[in-house]
Amino acid sequence: MKKTRDEGGDGLGPQLGKLWAADPVAKAPPWFAAKTMARLRREEDRKRGWFGLPRWVLLGAGAAILAVGWLRWDSQPSVADAELFAALDAMVEEDRESRWWAGL
Amino acid sequence: MANEREGDGDDALVVRMGQGDEEALRELIIRHQDRVYGTVARMIGGAGPDAEDLAQQVFLRIWRAAPTYRARAKFTTWLMTVTRNLVFTFCDNRSKRLVVSDVVLDEEGEEVEGGQESVMERNPRDDLSGKELVQAVRLACAHLPKKQRLVVHLREHEEMEFSEIAKVLGVSELGAKSLMFRARENLKNRLAEFFTEPS
Repeated sequence: MKKTRDEGGDGLGPQLGKLWAADPVAKAPPWFAAKTMARLRREEDRKRGWFGLPRWVLLGAGAAILAVGWLRWDSQPSVADAELFAALDAMVEEDRESRWWAGL
Repeated sequence: MANEREGDGDDALVVRMGQGDEEALRELIIRHQDRVYGTVARMIGGAGPDAEDLAQQVFLRIWRAAPTYRARAKFTTWLMTVTRNLVFTFCDNRSKRLVVSDVVLDEEGEEVEGGQESVMERNPRDDLSGKELVQAVRLACAHLPKKQRLVVHLREHEEMEFSEIAKVLGVSELGAKSLMFRARENLKNRLAEFFTEPS
């Protein structure tokens, strides 16, 4: 009991205050600061992803890569039928020449 | 306990914390760990893992809030407000399973039904002189509604002014005094047998 206040005043009063003080307030254990700092670092590390970058940056980058891939998938270059058939004809012709040279 | 010079550098430490200075947090913890831990322990009924966990959470919240901290009141008022928020949430969550006796008091100090078991039961080994008194005080404290318990602790142990206590509790100064009055009456009833002279 550090301050004495009268019974009708704004504290517990001398008697009650003395009784209240009979149950001492607990003090923090000696390791409290160290454990709190360790917990802080653990929680901060959990928030971070690879290379010390925040997790939201990595998630954002991943989402951006997926979005670009999806957009590029839609805009793949088309090949005209004539070009395709010309390429196939060239392959057939080359195969025929190869067979001729081999005496087949 | 209330050392005016001690509080001089708290705001500066919080500013440093806002810039990511972990050493400032360590210093702040060392300054206020007993205040926070003691308050939490008093509020939840004793020291232990729960008290340690809650007290750690208080400082982690302070750390996270530091970048946006504005010194509107004394630092200790803010610290106790953060402590109150966490402790009251803990008490509310626990209240479903924690009842201190078959009759408990509501926030107005009236007796309400609903208790099932006692977590502060008297241990026969403790029924010895001083220990009996401590146990009785703990029991009386546990019976107080949480706001009254916090008011008594902040006033008697932390020696805070009612204007500060009112800010911590989010009530008017008159409201804080009223809580103190009700707490005193409740404690008087609970601890009457220990009075050495009539009050």
